[in-house]
Amino acid sequence: MDPSLRMARWAAGALAVSALMVAGCATMRVSSFAERGIDLSQYRTYEWAPDDRFATGDPRLDNNVFFQQRLRADVEKQLAAKGFEKSTGDAAALLLHYHASINQQIDIAEADQRYGYTDKRASSLYDAGTILIDFVDARTDKLVWRGWAEGSLDGAIDNQQWMEQAIDKAVTRILEKLPRRL
Amino acid sequence: MRRLLPWVAIGVLALAAAGCATMNVGSHMQRGLDFTQYRTYDWGPADALPTGDARLDNPFFRDYMEGAVEKQLAAKGLERASADAPDLLIHYHAVVQPRIDVNRADGEYGYCYDETCGVRVIDVEAGTLVVDVVDARTNKLIWRGWAQSPAQRLLSRQHRMARTIDEAVRRMLARFPEGAN
Repeated sequence: MDPSLRMARWAAGALAVSALMVAGCATMRVSSFAERGIDLSQYRTYEWAPDDRFATGDPRLDNNVFFQQRLRADVEKQLAAKGFEKSTGDAAALLLHYHASINQQIDIAEADQRYGYTDKRASSLYDAGTILIDFVDARTDKLVWRGWAEGSLDGAIDNQQWMEQAIDKAVTRILEKLPRRL
Repeated sequence: MRRLLPWVAIGVLALAAAGCATMNVGSHMQRGLDFTQYRTYDWGPADALPTGDARLDNPFFRDYMEGAVEKQLAAKGLERASADAPDLLIHYHAVVQPRIDVNRADGEYGYCYDETCGVRVIDVEAGTLVVDVVDARTNKLIWRGWAQSPAQRLLSRQHRMARTIDEAVRRMLARFPEGAN
């Protein structure tokens, strides 16, 4: 590899790590798992499964079509970029489910007490949101891939633009973990 | 969003210091829609979502709520449909949820509840009022507004309930896009 490129990558990596450290412990956490031995490139088409009826835990988001539309549009865009096709007419190889939920989280700065003082202002209460996306094999009805993101949503639901940005970010980060179709 | 968090925290502190009378209001709308096409509305069928609280399942609450919404919609130039089919259907519901809170403000004023001066976590009830506006022709949600405040403000006394509902509905419908006139 070109040494200057390697240097640039290293710098970008260091920058990203320090940005995470500044952002603290409430950063978005993203994870995924895939069924062992599954080759995701065998699937080409997908379609959305019917909406689930689970409550989100927040009356602002229950049956909120604006949230649902944004999430679906984001997922479709990312999947198109990865080479998946939205099924039209024919039976799709994959069925997509998603689920969103909100939990109240409490963060108390325990570190401060170890140093002998308490700063109440360091404790915080926030709404944590989780978005989860499931890929199910339409033929066998088995889950083949699941990705999710969890992070603070405080103040973001009340502002539509912030909420949309939070969804965009979460979906992008989740589907980054999905292997690309060739 | 992450970098905003300290500022949000400061904002929360400022609100906490300013007293407990906070109400947060928000709304979502269908983007790219011409709201001037709507002129009339009517109440939709009663909402299937449970209120979750018997204290709100009473005619007083419904009277205050519907009265407040009708007043604000009239101010926006929308008329209650009489004979013709309405352009819009309005739904509302109220939810009371248990939540927790932290006694942030106490430390700032320099007193503690006990010798450790630890952080206290308090159980509270949050009340959320949601108003949904549906296009009657397409049956699609075009706007949703809500207001959240401690449920005590809604439930403790009757005249307080009326005032709280009035403030909540006024502030959320202030966010509804302007209509034809």
